[in-house]
Amino acid sequence: MTSLNIASAQAAANVMEDGLLGDPVPLWKQTLKRLLRKRSGQVGMFLIGFMVLVAIFAPLIAPYDPNQVLIGIEDVKRRDPPCVHMLGCDVSRPQHIMGIDGNSRDVFSRLVYGAQISLMIGVVTVTIALIVGVFLGAIAGYFGGWTDNLIMRCMDVILGFPALLLAIAIVAVLGPGIVNALLAISVVSVPGYARVTRASVLSVKSQDFVAASRVLGGSKWRILFTRVLPNALTPIVVLATMGVAGGILEAAGLSFLGLGAQPPTPEWGTMLGTEKDQMFSSPHLVFFPGIAIVITVLGFNLLGDGLRDALDPRLNS
Amino acid sequence: MKRLVFLGAALAVSTMSTGAALSFEGSSLVAPDCNYGGKISAIRATDEHTVTFTMCAADPAFEAKAAFVSFGIQPSEHLATVGTTKDILTNPIGTGPFKLDAWNRGDSIILKRNDGYWGNKSPYETLVFRWSTSGAGQLNELRSGTVDQISTLSPDDFDAVKNDPDLQFLPQSGPNTLYLGMTNTFEPFNNVKVRQAIAMGIDRQRIVDNYFPDGSEVASHFTPCTIPNGCAGEAWYGFDPVAAKALLAEAGFPEGFKTKIYYRDVFRTYLPEPSTMAVEIQSQLKAIGIDAEVSPMESGEFIGQASAGNLDGFYLLGWGADYPHITNFLDYHFGKDTKQFGASIPEIHEALTKGSSIANVDEAKPVYEQANNAIREFVPMVPISHAAAGSAARSYVKNANYRPFGAKQFSTVDPGKDTMIVMQNAEPISLYCGDESDGESTLVCTQITETLLDYAQDSGEVVGGLATGCEANADATEWTCHLREGVKFTDGSAFDANDVVASYAAGIDVSNPSHVGNTGAFDYFSSLWGLMNAPAQ
Repeated sequence: MTSLNIASAQAAANVMEDGLLGDPVPLWKQTLKRLLRKRSGQVGMFLIGFMVLVAIFAPLIAPYDPNQVLIGIEDVKRRDPPCVHMLGCDVSRPQHIMGIDGNSRDVFSRLVYGAQISLMIGVVTVTIALIVGVFLGAIAGYFGGWTDNLIMRCMDVILGFPALLLAIAIVAVLGPGIVNALLAISVVSVPGYARVTRASVLSVKSQDFVAASRVLGGSKWRILFTRVLPNALTPIVVLATMGVAGGILEAAGLSFLGLGAQPPTPEWGTMLGTEKDQMFSSPHLVFFPGIAIVITVLGFNLLGDGLRDALDPRLNS
Repeated sequence: MKRLVFLGAALAVSTMSTGAALSFEGSSLVAPDCNYGGKISAIRATDEHTVTFTMCAADPAFEAKAAFVSFGIQPSEHLATVGTTKDILTNPIGTGPFKLDAWNRGDSIILKRNDGYWGNKSPYETLVFRWSTSGAGQLNELRSGTVDQISTLSPDDFDAVKNDPDLQFLPQSGPNTLYLGMTNTFEPFNNVKVRQAIAMGIDRQRIVDNYFPDGSEVASHFTPCTIPNGCAGEAWYGFDPVAAKALLAEAGFPEGFKTKIYYRDVFRTYLPEPSTMAVEIQSQLKAIGIDAEVSPMESGEFIGQASAGNLDGFYLLGWGADYPHITNFLDYHFGKDTKQFGASIPEIHEALTKGSSIANVDEAKPVYEQANNAIREFVPMVPISHAAAGSAARSYVKNANYRPFGAKQFSTVDPGKDTMIVMQNAEPISLYCGDESDGESTLVCTQITETLLDYAQDSGEVVGGLATGCEANADATEWTCHLREGVKFTDGSAFDANDVVASYAAGIDVSNPSHVGNTGAFDYFSSLWGLMNAPAQ
């Protein structure tokens, strides 16, 4: 039954192509297989996997507590450059592979713990936006008429504002803080999901198997959520993957402006923001958080690209 | 010599003849009464070289204020003619070591040496002011040698300048104070033991050593020592976390408490890195068991809430001196009507009221000892540091150092060549500093116009300027200033008492035809003396 549900025209074609007509392989397995065949998918998976591991094992990886001020504990000065023993730094000096920040804390430890926060921000914002956006988009696409008009015009209003500016405005009203930043980013990303879901639902709902369900007497809601939506999710999965990257970037942007995570939270954007004036005197303080953001965002974008290719039947013929 | 200064219809314009200067007719500025809210009741030119200021109430800070650059003296005729139009903004006439030669809008201001200057003449002929908003830009110009001195330097560039043999670092021991405020109407700050515990629990030496540029000091008192009587009385508590914890336990908080640290993310000399400092204080408080959340606020909102006494946690704020008098620090913060630290503390403000009527520094000392000791005992806030600022010059510039008060006088500098080029942050708004308050305008004004008194080169002392000195009567309600003789303005006219009256009248008296200025706000006249004859609201 489950496999039949998924067996849209596209999936069926894929199954046939794989020569496994009698024994269908689940879509996610095929997708994964195709994803790992592509370079962008491999790199994306690797980068994200790396970041996830760093986040999970942060307490084991980080040599210091991220908020521990090292004044009086070690012989370090504020904003000391990186000291790596392997690269010739004097062994008598304490090793800080990414240097010391403006409050005499170990930058590497903060970066490692920052991975937890950034990944959490990316996933949570996308989850909230996804739930709300997909629900609204599905209703708009399936029911059409005035419901569609009302929902999509509201989405258009939100889309009318530049996303980051709108997020700044929302945070300015709610007050700075990581939770409010999460909400703000979620709100501004909802229209994207709603639009894509609506388009996808519109194309799926006119297909024969939906008509069949309708003829069999399925209720509208039942058809929408058990027949139409599961078959309309493909583009949304791609969008959500890229959305994680966008969420991390926007949260870093808000934190950079002082509107997101508050000190001493080791958030990458906050780290960049507090030390931006030291760009020339202590470049390590902006270089490493910047690189961390780049790697994570790149990972999610590459994975998104790979997923799009893997889920697109035209590219797999 | 007859000079009549028109002082407006509402004012008495009187002429007096004195025996000493037969032909001299002194003018005066007299307020109808003292109900207008200002400090000055009358300014009279009693003879050619004497001016008497009659105050509405005792004002021991008179001398310090009279040395402020906004109260520069210009010729009475010049004020009566040019001063009634906006032309005064670009045409200042003073007695200073330099005179204005040209103002190339958007590019530079060129000053030439005043060869008839009464004091030490400038060793070079031309002084040029240029400007650049970027600190890095200023330093680049200085490095390439296109300017000889710059006005501001970011603390991050201090070391780079010190290590450059072509440059010299110029410390600016600006009198300022950073403090950790508490509002004593909120729990748990209403308990004096809690406040004392915090006074002992903050390692201020560590803050100054790690977060402030060289030359900054741990605050031994709220007022910096460069201010007379500033550090009378006992010095602040030493750092003692064990005693702090014990006191907290005694006050009923053995486990500490939760609170917030409010601040605004704005660069100030007294607080170069607000967010970094807030995090440092946060980590120090944690060590004595206090769990404080860092909470940045919008600048205007923060100042408003702090001065209204509405902040329920710690807050990081500071103060930079307007003029070198202890009242500028203590009365503003701990006076009877100040709500900033919650309920005002009688032990402090009673001493302050007493001190504010004593003009003589030595006589006032015991009173300020009492006030400072009361501040130490009741801890309305914890004074942290007096920060040093810095700037830079090419190493061949001699005497490039700044003085603690007042803008730099460049006639004392010797670049060893004919032209000295100075770069500051912005173009001056105008060169009539009676109605300007920005540092860029006042720096240029300081070279051209002079005030009755002046600030010393190396301390907060007030020394003679256009007046050799001013003396008060017994209760400091009347100040008599003796003017320097034989001084000439750069337009050739002689300087006398009527010029002083006219210059003050133009600023203070709203009905004076010369009270035009730039915006007409006359901020410093208004805040330090009070404007008279203002139209009824």
